[in-house]
Amino acid sequence: MRDTQGLGRPTKADSAAIELASLKEHQQAWEAFAACAVSMIPILKKQMEAVTQQTERAAMDLMVNIRALTPPVTASRSTDTSANLSKIVMAMQFQDITQQKLEHVTQALDQWKMHLQALLKGPRDECAKQEIATLQRLEESYTMEEERRLHAAAITPDYQEPVPIEMEQTETDSATLF
Amino acid sequence: MRKTALVVDDSPTMRQMVAFTLTNAGFKVVEAEHGKDAITKVADGQKMDIIVTDLNMPEMDGISLIKELRKMAAFKFTPILMLTTESSADKKQAGKDAGATGWIVKPFNPELILKVIAKILPA
Repeated sequence: MRDTQGLGRPTKADSAAIELASLKEHQQAWEAFAACAVSMIPILKKQMEAVTQQTERAAMDLMVNIRALTPPVTASRSTDTSANLSKIVMAMQFQDITQQKLEHVTQALDQWKMHLQALLKGPRDECAKQEIATLQRLEESYTMEEERRLHAAAITPDYQEPVPIEMEQTETDSATLF
Repeated sequence: MRKTALVVDDSPTMRQMVAFTLTNAGFKVVEAEHGKDAITKVADGQKMDIIVTDLNMPEMDGISLIKELRKMAAFKFTPILMLTTESSADKKQAGKDAGATGWIVKPFNPELILKVIAKILPA
């Protein structure tokens, strides 16, 4: 209703126009953010891939040198040497484990990108609904118990660094015979 | 006579480490990058005494590889160990159903893997 007493109060039509303008601004800001995020994700993926490739090369170099330093099978080895070699092999597996964890983050980034692209089409879009559902199933892509625990810890409201992620594995945990 | 092991993993560092462990224990080691590669490697009729395979690999995963191998007369009873970061009960069950002999979770302890192999391989 128009203000007849000249007090300058906005009418319903004015309010609606202001609200619409604000919504348009939000929409534009959201679209700019989503487009920027979509273009950044492939760059972040490349950075992570470069890191894993570097660690893989370093680990391969280390293995070559360890092989060269290891006494031949026919030579006698002290218990200490064998135990130390076992420890080196255990420790060296950090590369494969780290690579796998980063691959899962990469997969999540891919899902996030598709999610943003779908949202840009509008939340009522069928494809957007599917992408939202996929992102909510992120945990299914994990293969390691450590990843599941970290995810669960990170989504709690009182999450604090550092997250307890290491859990000692017993022989029975790590080896099963059927 | 030296026993032969087939090591299947898409990670070259992991293959190197398993091969290193088994070679040090006196095995002759054949390496394959994934399930399809492993099938090609065994196609010439080479006898394998034990197979150690990863689960998640491109081209053909560990479960599919075991299923394929179990269809072949030469590998019907060959011990096959899964070596994977995956530790969930349902995946282990899938491995068992496919015909795996055992399941070892990465990171593996070389002494433990050799102990397991000694248990399942006839002397």
